[in-house]
Amino acid sequence: MKPNAAPTRALVITHGGIAREMINVVEMILGPVEGLEAMTNSGKSAADITAAVESWLAEPGAAFILIDDYGGSCATAARLAARDRPEVGIIAGVNLAMLLGFVTWRDSTEFPELVRKIIQKSREAITQIGAGT
Amino acid sequence: MTLVLARVDDRLIHGQVTVGWATHLQPSRLLLANNEIAADAWQSEVYAASVPHEIEVSILSLAETAAYLKRTADRKERVLLLTASVGEMAHLATMGVPFERINLGGLHYSSGKKEMLPFVYLGEDDLPPLRQLLNRGIRLQAQQVPGGMEHEVNAEEVRRMEGRF
Repeated sequence: MKPNAAPTRALVITHGGIAREMINVVEMILGPVEGLEAMTNSGKSAADITAAVESWLAEPGAAFILIDDYGGSCATAARLAARDRPEVGIIAGVNLAMLLGFVTWRDSTEFPELVRKIIQKSREAITQIGAGT
Repeated sequence: MTLVLARVDDRLIHGQVTVGWATHLQPSRLLLANNEIAADAWQSEVYAASVPHEIEVSILSLAETAAYLKRTADRKERVLLLTASVGEMAHLATMGVPFERINLGGLHYSSGKKEMLPFVYLGEDDLPPLRQLLNRGIRLQAQQVPGGMEHEVNAEEVRRMEGRF
């Protein structure tokens, strides 16, 4: 177990309402979860998205930013906002498996290993389950 | 060199540009004109990382952009040009970039701006450069994504916006 009890926080930033809905579904599965916050880029200028991420990062300590789409405004804002925060992990391609893995392992797994595990879990969740002929 | 799109978009390099417009227009080079980003290698890397591998990317100051477009006028290149503000596009026009039309695509709401269209919010500072561009005979076409709503911005609309500040 990690020392110090406060759970590692995560900010989920997506287009539209995806982040809010993903967190709703995570709580439907696991019950209420602390330290998960949703943010949307909808209607926001690049500067305002970056400022909102900076504001969320004002609390010190390790944290994750999970983004729907590599190469979009959410990813750019996260990287710009976390420029001087190497302890902040940023991962693109958020899916339900990634979020469930994050919440499940965040209290028991140290940072680099946590990143490896949740990326592995989210990739394993992408798999063909029908013939598609 | 063909300027396939000159777009004002405060998000600069993002999905609507790299997926939406780039799929539609097939640019060979994406040219981001921004003095601050061009002067910062780290920020340049962040923006360049978002460009698909098949498209070349240049991140240049406004002066370098005008010089580049002049120097490469005879080159077989399809350039998609981006600035974050109308003022920067007008500045490029004063430096001799021969625009026929400019796309207003992603001008989001922020404090002090007023809505012209659901995807075009303008600040008071945007209006003089819009007028300058119209006075040069450059067409201003508001359109967020290919196939989306198109709207030609005219002098009367700019005048009406001026009355709202």
